[in-house]
Order: sequence, then structure tokens, then C-alpha cells
Amino acid sequence: MAYKEIDSVLSPGNYYFSGNTAAAEGAIAAGCRYYAGYPITPSSEIMERISIRFPEVNGAFIQMEDEIASICSVIGASWAGAKAMTATSGPGFSLMQEAIGYAALTETPMVIMDVQRAGPGTGQATRVGSGDLMQAKWGSHGDYQPIALSPWSVQEMYDLSIEAFNLAEQYRTPVFLMADEAIGHLMERMDVKPGLRIYGRFKQADLPPFGMDQDDGVPPMPAFGEVQRLLVTGSTHNEWGIRKTDDGSIHAKLVERINNKVFNNREKIILTEELYLDDAEVVVVAYGFTARSAVFAIDQIREEGCRAGLLRLKTIWPFADHYIEKIGRSARCIFVPEMNRGQIKGEVMKYAGCEVASYNQTDGEIIHPETIIQELRRLF
Amino acid sequence: MARDLEQYLRPEVKSTPFCPGCGHGILMNLLLRAVDDLKIDMKNTVFVSGIGCAAWIPSPNFNADTLHTLHGRALAFATGVKVFNPKLNVMVVSGDGDLTSIGGNHLIHAARRNLDITVICANNMIYGMTGGQAASTSPLGALTATTARGNIYRPFDLCELVKGAGAAYVARYSVTQPVALMEALKEAFSIEAFSFVEVLSPCPTQFGRRNSYDSAVDMIKMLQGNCISREEAALLSGEELKDKIITGVFWNEKG
Amino acid sequence: MKKVSQIRIAGFGGQGVVLIGTILGHAAVRDGNWVSGSNAYGAQARGGSARSEVVIAREPVRFPHVMKADMLIVMSQGAYDQSVSDLSRQNAVVIYDDLLIRPEDLPDAIQYPVPATDTALKTFENNQVANVIILGAAASITQIVSLEALESAVAENVSDRFKEQNLKALRTGYDMGEKILSGRE
Ligand code: SF4
Repeated sequence: MAYKEIDSVLSPGNYYFSGNTAAAEGAIAAGCRYYAGYPITPSSEIMERISIRFPEVNGAFIQMEDEIASICSVIGASWAGAKAMTATSGPGFSLMQEAIGYAALTETPMVIMDVQRAGPGTGQATRVGSGDLMQAKWGSHGDYQPIALSPWSVQEMYDLSIEAFNLAEQYRTPVFLMADEAIGHLMERMDVKPGLRIYGRFKQADLPPFGMDQDDGVPPMPAFGEVQRLLVTGSTHNEWGIRKTDDGSIHAKLVERINNKVFNNREKIILTEELYLDDAEVVVVAYGFTARSAVFAIDQIREEGCRAGLLRLKTIWPFADHYIEKIGRSARCIFVPEMNRGQIKGEVMKYAGCEVASYNQTDGEIIHPETIIQELRRLF
Repeated sequence: MARDLEQYLRPEVKSTPFCPGCGHGILMNLLLRAVDDLKIDMKNTVFVSGIGCAAWIPSPNFNADTLHTLHGRALAFATGVKVFNPKLNVMVVSGDGDLTSIGGNHLIHAARRNLDITVICANNMIYGMTGGQAASTSPLGALTATTARGNIYRPFDLCELVKGAGAAYVARYSVTQPVALMEALKEAFSIEAFSFVEVLSPCPTQFGRRNSYDSAVDMIKMLQGNCISREEAALLSGEELKDKIITGVFWNEKG
Repeated sequence: MKKVSQIRIAGFGGQGVVLIGTILGHAAVRDGNWVSGSNAYGAQARGGSARSEVVIAREPVRFPHVMKADMLIVMSQGAYDQSVSDLSRQNAVVIYDDLLIRPEDLPDAIQYPVPATDTALKTFENNQVANVIILGAAASITQIVSLEALESAVAENVSDRFKEQNLKALRTGYDMGEKILSGRE
């Protein structure tokens, strides 16, 4: 199956929602009908909204005993045929990592929303951070290619939540919506359009569910009870799911395929937004709430005659390597403001080929536009 | 494996992976016999297992949907399958370490929720696959790879644990009690609520060899000698009960 | 209306400051505006103070927090003292509860005393509706949102038990605001 147009679940119109509420609504719009979760600040409103709304859309909601149980039951539900998700914040995201690797290897579609707070440890539960991005990339053991999105508004909590489900189903992989506390708790106008583009699961029963023959590297995924007698295992397996734990070449091929099906399709997956890149001397690379501050700062500083531009990363993983390379050829400097110690700056440095400056803030507060203006002035 | 049960096995899987004398082979046979007697539709059944020797009983052998999961998490995965599609029969087959140590929290919560899931816990009293380390079910004094001077902690009474957590049906038998065990498995499969069968299954390779049961037969004899019914147990003193394993149905909500 | 309005609502915990922020945001969306709103959580809300911010614009809001408030609705002396330093320099409007606040001289701002708590106690015998009264007054004084939009936002955000009283309080506040304005002219 592929993309199809359906009617939106919410009546079209303008709403005033928090980011967390919008994310829950986006999930419902995308067809998510299984949610398992465990309470954690600042993400709990997602679970609360789902628990209220699921009875209206015939969804199955369960509050589990912990985050590990939550994500494992989401994997089970996904194989039972559900579009399924969980939401959490840093500590819960850490607990989920083993199962994320399991989902990557078993090619289980699911969405995990991480409303990031100030870590590490319990850190500051009610305050903002974006320190989980490298964990999203490398959190589980072994090699896999996660897809991670970064919303910058309540509207995008809705839109990218839908996108996350579409990508999860299309590429049969866990997808992260890496929100942050400031967006999760922000309330904004959110517009619902009448139609939605939704990816339906590709289910052909006579093809091997872990095979290598699909052009895009993504095999079909029938559900339990649909007669195929599926074998699903987190151990290395052949195209029919039979455990193969001795033959190294099978392992290498499997790992290569689950990485390549995302990495080789990255030009299709990656979403960005560009502003003033034509003439920008200094380009700000930003994401999440920080990009809201950056846009404001850039407009301001351009009035002072400084030619600044913006590359906003809506997709964090796979990383927008080609975009950075291109900017590196035209800009004098790339500036990366982040609410962490430089997690994306490191990625930018890999590809930029020009000067890379950064501003890092880990005090649990958002980066204020004024701060970015001051930092930019220094670069001109 | 009896010929008539071969229909329940995947044709492409040729042999079971268990050591000679392992109790899991007997359990596998009895389990399929119960499936056959009850005419359970394998097309509509999902077997979920964790990590360990016992987790290999269904995966990849059974000709049904099988979900071979992470260590300890079988019940969490099974919960997702069952809650999303209640029409599927969901059976969890795994070991004692998997279900009750690393997975202990999921076990008690699954019992509390009382979903229609059947759990078969093969208890070999040790970690077999990883090389014979102490388990939460190893008897006091047991010699293991991590208790060279004997286990100093008491084992769980799994049936009391699961019963206390709210299961609808709880039983314990040994593979040396095949008739009673099969009845218990059938009862557990039939009950439309959370049912738990603990199956004592000898591990000659890791448990036997370290605890002077030199052959598989010695281990079977030990279980035969030590497993007594609840009725027999009621007649014995505390001292006499010391090494005994009490078997029977410990709780059945239906009465 | 200006292109972008930055509104700060402040008081102490329990006065319903966050609720009227949400109501104002809802109403502004009803009127066809773009809106961003946020509340002070946890440590930001030190000393039992509560704060809600709403940015209302004719086009999508760029930066969603208030940087310099051009409108302040304030319901406690502590919040007043804290917030007046952060006002915009161009004709900021301050709407304050006259029973709870003794105002300073603010050369760049126009200040409107509103007897919100006083009316809540005397007319409604319930100080819990002071928030909606002051919001109603702010709306008629500044015309930031329409009365109809506010009414439907109150209906949507207040539980059934208190809906009627809150709607009445809102209209009382709105009328009060009109009188305050005409009194000035
Ligand atoms: S190690 Fe023990 S439990 Fe595992 S297969 Fe061998 S005998 Fe059976």
C-alpha cells in the first residue's frame, strides 16, 4: 500500500491547543489506535489527551507499569496490526532504549514522542532542554538509523506527529518526535485542514516479511492472526524470521539493510525550512523552540544590515548532511544555538567545511532571541 | 515428538535446540498435546516468549505467530498484542529468570490486570543459557556459577506471588507429573483470564551437573521424589517439608 | 489592533490567572488571529505567583513568548511590582485590581484601575470570579478580543457548574470596562 487521502478526524478549523495536545491529535489523525505509556513530566498531557480521546475513535489505551513495559507493549500491538505509540521524557526515553534497538532490528513501525527536559538524571523535570538528540541517534546498542523529527510550533506538533507515523509505516522503523518542554507546554493556534495524507501499512502476505527484494529495502509486514504464521525475533534472522545467530554474513546483510533503507532514502525523508539563504553570510542552524528565537533574531539583525540566514532542521536524523555541505560552500560561518552542550554542532562540523560557531545553554531556560542577536553581532 | 503433533511444528524447523535430558522437550510435547486436545486454532494464536532456553520452546518451533522478545519483557509485548486485538489467543512461554526476575514487575502487573493471557513458566531453578548462574528460583544452598558456596537467599514461591497479584488461575506441576500437568495446561488455556502454570523442568546441564545430579535421570528422580501434592504436604511437618516442592492447583477463580 | 500584541497576566496562585490566559487565547483564535500562549511553571512561578502570557497577532506568531508586554493584567501587588519593569515603552496598558494593588507612577503607561475583586465579593459573593471580571474589563478597554469570542471561550474552558456565573461575571467586567473608558473621555 502507499499514501492515500482521508478526511481529517478533527473537524477542519482553528484550534487553540497545547503542543502536547496537538501531538496526541496528530497521532489520532494519522491512525494511531494503540497507546501505552507511563506518566512523566513534561509529556503526560499527551497520554491524558489520548486516554480521553481514544474511546471516541475506538483506540486501545493502556497505562503500563513503567516505560519499558510501555514501549514493549507498543511493539506487540504494532505486530498485532496497530499504528502504535508511546510518549515520554528523558528518563523514560533512557529506559526504552533496549526496546528501540529491538524495534529497529525487527523493523517494527512505531512512534515515540520525547518531550525533552533538562537532564541528565532526573535533572529539572519541569524545565526545558534538548539533550536527548544524541541518545535518539545512538541510544540502543548496535548500528541502526533512527528517524527523528523536531517540531518548532504547536502546529508542527500536529503535522510532524502525522509525518512521524507516515515515516514509521513507510520505512518500518521506530520514529522519534523530539519535542521539548517549551513546545509541549506552549499553547498556539493550530489549523486543521480537511484532508490528510496517510501511509497505510504494506502487507503482502506471500513475500518474506524480512526480505531484501523491495526496491526501497522495506519488506511487507502482515499482522498476527493474518495466516502467515509470522516469526518475529530480536535475534539475527533470515528473510522469514528464522533465527540465524551463527552466520556472520546474514547479520551483516541484515544490519546493512536496516541502515540503508533509511540512510539511502534520506533525501526523501529529510525536511528543512530555509530563510534568506541566498545572501546569508552567517547561517543559523537551529531546531525546536530555539529556531523560534533564531527567526526573530535573524529578522532583527538583518535590519541592522547583517546578512544572516536560517536553516531549520525539522528532521534531526537522518542528518541533513548535504544541506550543511551546500551552506558551507556559500556561507562564511554557521552558527548553532542549542539547549545542550553542542550535540548538533558536532554533526554540523562534520560536513560544514567553514567556520562553525555555537551557543550552548543548559540552565533549563529557553534561549532568548536577545541572546542570539548578541551572539550574531559578534560574528559580523 | 509424536507424529500427530508434527502438524503444530514449522516444517522448515528440523530439530529442537535443547540439551539431552532437558525438561523443556517434555513440556513442549505436553503443551502441544493440550493444544491438540482443545483444538486450539494455531492460526489465531500468538506465542510470546522472552530470552532463555525456555523461550525457544515456541520460537521458532511452533507453527503459529511467534514473538520472540527481549529478556524479561514477554508479558509486556503480550499485553500489547492482546489489548489491541483481543480476538487473538495469547500464550506466553518462558523461563523463570525471564518471567520472574528481570520480568517480575511485568508479571505481577499482568496478573493484576487479569487480561486473558496464559503464562507457562518453565522453572529450571537456574539461568541455563548463560551458563548456570543463580536465579530468583534457585533453592537455598544450591550450587551455581555465582553461588559457589551455596545460594544464601530464599527462592520465590512463584505461585503465591502470582496468586497474590490477582491471577485467575495458578498451578504448579513438574514435567515428571505429565497427566496432572496436561490437565493444568488445558485448564489454563480454557480460562478467559490471566492464568499461570509453573512447570518444574529439569536442567541437567547447568543445575544437575553442579548439584550432584550426575545424569538427566538423577534429576528426574529428584523431582519425582521431591514433588508432592498439596494434600500430601498438609500431612508433613515443617522439617519434613524442607526439600519438598508442593504441586497442585493453588488458585482457580472458578472454584 | 496592532500587528502583534504582547499580553502578560499576573497574580498569585489560585486567582485563576492561567485560566484567563487560556480563555483570552481561545477567544483571540475565535476572532481569527494567530495566538501563542504560555504559563509560568514550577520554579518560574516562585513565591506563589502565577503568570500567563499571550501573544496575539494578525499573522503567524514568530517568537511565542512575551518580550515586552504592551498590556498587563495584574491582580496582586507582588506581581505588579515584578511586572511593571518589563513593560513596553510605547503606551503600554496596565489593567489592575484596585483593591489589591497600589499603583506606581508609570510615565510610559496608561493605567486602569478595575474593581474586580471588590465586585466579585460584593456582587457575586465569590472572589473566584475576579479573574473573569478583570478579563472582561480588559477586553472592552483594549478591544483586543470580541465579547462573543470571549463568551464562547469561557463556555469552553469553564466547567458546567461554574459556567453561568462566569459568563455573568465576564459581562459585568465588560460593562465595567466600557464605563471606565467613557469616564476617562
Ligand atoms: S541449559 Fe538446561 S534448560 Fe537449557 S537446554 Fe540445556 S538442559 Fe535445558
